[in-house]
Order: sequence, then structure tokens, then C-alpha cells
Amino acid sequence: MTTKPIAVLQPNPSTKKKRKLQIAPYLFVLPNLLIFTIFIVIPTLLGVIYSFHNYDGLNPMKYIGFENYAHIFTDDKFWSTLGKTLTYAMIVVPLIYVCALGVAILLVQQVIMKGFFRAIFYWPTMISFIIVGLTWRWIFGELGIINALLVAFDNEQITFLANPFFAKVAVIIAAVWSRLGFFMVLFVAGLLAIPKDFYEAAHLDGASKVKAFFHITLPLLKPTTLLVVMLSMIEAFKAYPLMFALTGGGPNKATTYIVQYIYETGFAKQELGLASAMSVVLFIIITIFTVLQFKLTKGGEN
Amino acid sequence: MENIIADYKKENTHVDIQLIEVAYNDLATKLKTMISGGKPPALARISTSEIGSFSNFAVDLGEQLGGVDSFTTQFIDSIKPYYVIDNKVVASPMDVTANGIMYNKTLFDQAGVTVPTSSDDIWTWDEFNASLKEVMDKSDAKYGLVWDFTPHRWSTLLYQFGGSMINPEGTEGTINNEAGIESVNYFKKMHDDGIIPTSVWLGGENPNNLFRTGTVAAHLSGNWMVSSYKDITDFEWGVTYMPIAKNRSSVPGGKFVMAFQKSGVEEEAAKFIAYLSSKETNSKFNQESLFMSPRKDSADLDYAFGKEMFALFADELNNTIPAAAEDWSKQTIIPKFSSDLKDGLVEVIAGGSSAEDMLNDINDQINKAIADANDN
Repeated sequence: MTTKPIAVLQPNPSTKKKRKLQIAPYLFVLPNLLIFTIFIVIPTLLGVIYSFHNYDGLNPMKYIGFENYAHIFTDDKFWSTLGKTLTYAMIVVPLIYVCALGVAILLVQQVIMKGFFRAIFYWPTMISFIIVGLTWRWIFGELGIINALLVAFDNEQITFLANPFFAKVAVIIAAVWSRLGFFMVLFVAGLLAIPKDFYEAAHLDGASKVKAFFHITLPLLKPTTLLVVMLSMIEAFKAYPLMFALTGGGPNKATTYIVQYIYETGFAKQELGLASAMSVVLFIIITIFTVLQFKLTKGGEN
Repeated sequence: MENIIADYKKENTHVDIQLIEVAYNDLATKLKTMISGGKPPALARISTSEIGSFSNFAVDLGEQLGGVDSFTTQFIDSIKPYYVIDNKVVASPMDVTANGIMYNKTLFDQAGVTVPTSSDDIWTWDEFNASLKEVMDKSDAKYGLVWDFTPHRWSTLLYQFGGSMINPEGTEGTINNEAGIESVNYFKKMHDDGIIPTSVWLGGENPNNLFRTGTVAAHLSGNWMVSSYKDITDFEWGVTYMPIAKNRSSVPGGKFVMAFQKSGVEEEAAKFIAYLSSKETNSKFNQESLFMSPRKDSADLDYAFGKEMFALFADELNNTIPAAAEDWSKQTIIPKFSSDLKDGLVEVIAGGSSAEDMLNDINDQINKAIADANDN
């Protein structure tokens, strides 16, 4: 109690120095903040403004209030495309989760050429989605490797990408293949952070490896799990370049997901106002998902 | 183009021209950004799809090019609706395109099937289908016909069947009339019969790549493919007449140069466009690039490759019904429904919708787009 007034009267001589130092973090953040503001925040705000206008990107905007939003709520195609996107996300996210975790568990063991195998799984993440799409088109396409093999062994060709079911499967395989490595790295980091003592203690107590996995590994990976699920979910909702290159969104719109739908509205039909309103709706939906997930998992804390 | 610019600069030392090459997919976006950013280029080479959306920002070239009538009479008539809007010359034609059929001569020869050699003995669509079937049966052909995956190329069939998308006055949609429905059903039938592989319209496979494998009997595309296919050495190929239904018809298109307002050099740009449109420069450009000249006096260019093929494309253009250019020149209306038309055609091929329902839906969209355009 007695020290308090003294502290006020005699400010610590190092405070000034501290203040000065505190500018540095902001300076470090500044370049990114500027880039983020100019290329993300301002365009986002502009998008919100466009969403209340009739705008083709060229001729003067015309204010139309909530007309674009009203249109979206009666646009069956928008909602069915969103439904398709949700189904896609519900399949791809768990698949990526299971595969990435599985591979990560295998590659934290003492295996020969561990680095090489990790690299093999990681490399696809460094390839752009367009190239990934083209690559898988060369595998599944009419002129692809699978069909060449089928013909070589005197079988009938299968037009995978002209069949809605196979086209969806192809997209899912390509998406998992291209993103697995990235999430594997997150899991490897998460797995390596779990102290070995836990497993040793469990082993001494007679717990099986499966039990140890469900009672030690999974609970302690909760923060990583949240991150992986959230990131892959957002990615799945925003998926577009991969389908653009692999299936073009076809056959018959089977693999056209919400971002492609918005893109086509904005750029093919030149309705930038309506497309902006759709983006705002998508933004709200993704935000709700993320917040829900965060709340349900209590922010990924143990 | 570089040579032409260099020549022009030699003659006009006070002018500097910077050529920016832009991938076609980025062209519209790039132009939009430049114009709305207040820094339009002096001029741009654009296709029919861009003319409509940018015409509000174009310099009226009429006066500079010697008056609307005397200028337009130099070019083939069918493309006039593309570049003359509200009696203003908003762009000048650089080259003209025609849809047509390329065929694999090696496969046809192998099957012993001959193609029409003059416009007097051209196939009907049924005869063409029968010929393709024969080629598929008697040669190494795996596919009969690949058809570019665009509503523009599909519309070739629409015009041949006597249909149109919009009435000549531009006041209402006509795509769902009997001829329209018939043409969609015929298109579906060719898919159902296995003449056209589903891999293009359903699977998104590139028809050019398929044709290049040498296992496709014919490709419905346009004259621009001549310069692309000229490097094929594995088999012989040629151009033949498109079949006739109610009419013969192609769909004219092309590339144009447009000068933009507020570029600060509008007058110089117009002068350069006059230079580009002149007989000498335009012929040189098209002859070297293997394109077709839109000038009436340059129809017979001395191409180093495929001279007879270009003559055939020109014949297709000369036998084209007016509706084709009238429809496709309405570029404020077309973008509002063309992607849905493409999706609709796919849906009909996949069996998800009837031709009638699909075309009724598209016709509603056309009418709405016309009403919206009149409101603005």
C-alpha cells in the first residue's frame, strides 16, 4: 500500500525507453497492415457498397437498396449451389483431416528416409490449383492415363469427367491430394509437441496403442484439430480454381461450387452488384461457421 | 502487328505506340480496370463480345474514317451490326471469322467417304450424320464430331434450322420457337447417337486436343483453327461445307480495334485506326496471320497456307442468314443469358430438362434483359 504513491511520484526511468520500444512491433506490422488494408479491407468494404447497387463494373452504379439481397433469397440456383458446396465440404474436410493425421502419425515414427517421405507429401501443396487440376485431368480425362491404360488392355473407355459421380470423386481426390501435405505439417508439429512421458506412462499402465491414441493423442491435438478443420472448411467453401481446371464446373454443373457461381454472376453475366451481395452472404455464412466451431471447441483449449 | 507498328512509326515520327499483349481471358477485366481508373488505352483490339460493353466509352470514328456510309461499305455487310451502334462507328474491323467444319481427311479416305466438293452437293444434317457414322465404322475414328463448347458455336445449328435468338427489331426473344426447339433436340440426338462424344459438352475436354489425336472425324469450330492445325503432321485434314438444314448459315464474328475516349490522344488513335483499316495494311496483317480480311476488296488474299480453305470459309459467310450477326451484335443483351444458355444446353444433353422448358426459360431471360436494357 505504501509503495503505490511512491511509484506514481517516481516513475520508473525505464518507462520512456519501454514506450519507445513499443513502437517497433507496430512498425514491423505496418507493411503487412498496409497491404492487408489496401488489398483486402478496402476492396471488401467496396464490395459491400457494390452489393447495394446495380453495377456492371464499367457504367455508373445505380443504387437499388436491398434488391440484390432480395434476389439472392429467391434464387434457387444460389442455394442449391451452396448446398452442393456444403456437401463437398462435409466430405473433403473429414477426409483431409483423417488422411493428414494418418500420414503425420506415420511420419513421426522412426522410418527410413522420413524427410523424403514428408517432402513427397508436402510437394503437391506448392503447386498451384490450376496445375493440380490440369494434372488430374491428364489422369482422369478422355485423353488421360487411366483411359489409355483401359484401352491398352482392351477395355471400354470411361468418360470419368462426363459422369457427375466420377467427376465429383475426381475433384475430391485432387483436393485431398493437393492439401494433405500442408495439414500434415501442422499435425506433425502438434504430434511432436506432445510429451513422450504421457505415452510411456500409459504404456506402463498397460494401455494399448489405440487407447493411447484416443485418450492422449487426440485430446492433446485439439488446438491443431480446430485449426485444421477451420482452415480446410474455409478452403472448401472457397474452392474454385481446382474445379475450373479439372472439370470446368461440369458435367452439368455437378462440380460448380459457390465461388464459381459468384464469379460467373459477376464476370460472365457482368452483374458485379449482385455478385458482391452473394459474396457478402457467403462471408456471413463462413463467419457463422467459424464462430460456431470456435465456441463448440472452446477455442481449441484443453 | 509489331511490324505494322514499326512501319507506322517510321512514317509518323512524332507518334509512339506501346503494344501491350494481354491474354484474351484477362482482356475485358484489364480494359474495365483501365477505363474505370481513368487511364484508358488509346486503342485496343477486341472481339465481338467486348464491343457492346465498351461502346459507351468508344470514340466515334465515323468522321475520321470518312463518314459512316463510305466507311462501312468497304467491309462485308454481315458484320456491320457489330461495329455500328446507333449510327456511330464505335470500332473498325480488323479480321472476320466464320464458323465451319474441319475434317480428318485421312480417316474419311480410309473409310472411303467423300466430302462435298461444291456448294451444289452439300450434305443435309442427316446425310452428314450418316457419313460420320460410316467413317466411325470403317476407319480408326473413335468419335464422329467434336463441337466447340460455346453457345456461339452451337448457334450455328440454330441459324441453319431457321431459328434466331432475338427478333430483328430487338424487342423480344425468339429462341423458343419451333426451329429453336428442333435445333436443340437435334443437337441432343447427335450426343445420344454417339456421333458427338459427351466428353466435350459434359466432360469439358478440349475439342482441339481431341481432333489432334487423329481419332475424330470432324470438328465444328471456326476459321481461326486453320492457323492452329497447320502444324499437324500425323494426318491430313481439310475444311468442308457445313451441312444444310432449312438454310445454310455460319455465324460471323471478328476482331475490331476500338479507340477510347479520354485517352488524351483520341485523334492520333483514330488516325492509326484509319491506317490499320486501309487495304494495304489490313491485307498484310490478315495474310500473314492467316486470318480473313473483312474488306470486300481483300477477300482473295494470297495465303501461304490453306488458300482453298479460306475460300470455303468465305463461302460459308456469304451464305449466312442476317439473324446470326443481328443476334450476336446485341452485346448488351447476350452476356445476360449466354452462360445460362450454355448450361441449359448441357442440361438438355444430360437429360435433366426438355429442350422446350430450357428454351422457354432462356427466352424469359432474354425478354428480361431487353426490358432492363430499355430501362437504363
